[in-house]
Amino acid sequence: MVRPSARENSEWLTALGGGGEAREAALTDLREVLRAGLRRGLTAWLQAGSPQLESLAEDAAQDALLRILDRLDTFEGRSRFTTWAYKVAIRIALTELRRKQWQDVSLDRMLEPEADEEHGMSVIDPQVGPEASVEQQDALARIGRILQEELTPRQWAMMKAVALRGIPMEALAQKMGVERNALYKMMHDARLKLKRRMVREGLDLGELMAGFEAGNTSGMRVVKGQGG
Amino acid sequence: MTGLLDRVRIWLVGGRRTPLVFQPSTAAVLSRQMAATQEVEYDCQDVYRLLDQFAEAVLRGEDTAPWMPLIRAHLELCPDCRAEFEALMRALQAQLS
Repeated sequence: MVRPSARENSEWLTALGGGGEAREAALTDLREVLRAGLRRGLTAWLQAGSPQLESLAEDAAQDALLRILDRLDTFEGRSRFTTWAYKVAIRIALTELRRKQWQDVSLDRMLEPEADEEHGMSVIDPQVGPEASVEQQDALARIGRILQEELTPRQWAMMKAVALRGIPMEALAQKMGVERNALYKMMHDARLKLKRRMVREGLDLGELMAGFEAGNTSGMRVVKGQGG
Repeated sequence: MTGLLDRVRIWLVGGRRTPLVFQPSTAAVLSRQMAATQEVEYDCQDVYRLLDQFAEAVLRGEDTAPWMPLIRAHLELCPDCRAEFEALMRALQAQLS
């Protein structure tokens, strides 16, 4: 008997695209391959062997089978067939996991959390803490001003939600009624506006990043202004 | 320095709002995001299309930086695609071991 994952790509495609017993056997094998792959792949999110993981792996494998059969002709053969199939199943499983985890959180709550849920920012407290140097405080104030001037409140709220509070884009996109890809493009537009403005103002992003990450601001400086 | 056009636009957009102030750790995250931002980026669909091929290349130990920089950049900026990549790598690595 051939081990399921030992089939060649062409063998998978022939069997799944055909009919009869060969197709049924391939479907059974692929379902088991996907279940096993999901059990391994999702252990960063769900405990190995847990009922939640088993249930999700089962459901996602089943849904993935249907999607794979529907899109068999889109497999371009640039990877092993099972790797491509894992990719499909993992997208389905993580999308469902995010949907469940965030289903009771409203869009308003995602974008405008209670004050005590905010991490690391405030529009009320003007102090950034005694550890911040004068240079650092100046840089923080400039970045804050640029954010306010370049982004709409909605864009800033989306950026905070995803980049700072770790809300999955998939979950946010579902609540907004848009595709995740569309949300990524919105975020890209916002980031690009900010970056262009920061560059125009002569802020050295590399130095800012190094200074803020290390808590070391000795080398932080504005290198040049290009905006007049 | 704020450019003339920026100043005019800001004046047109409206008055001053309460200053936005945040912690250095927040600024570090934002700075990292800005540094990784490119004029042209792959979106989630672009990356999804190539993710299986990319994961196998990484698994084989190939240097992916020269030929797939846009994927690397996207994974840096998109937590959802990064999670899918990590899950795929886990599935593949465990399969090999």
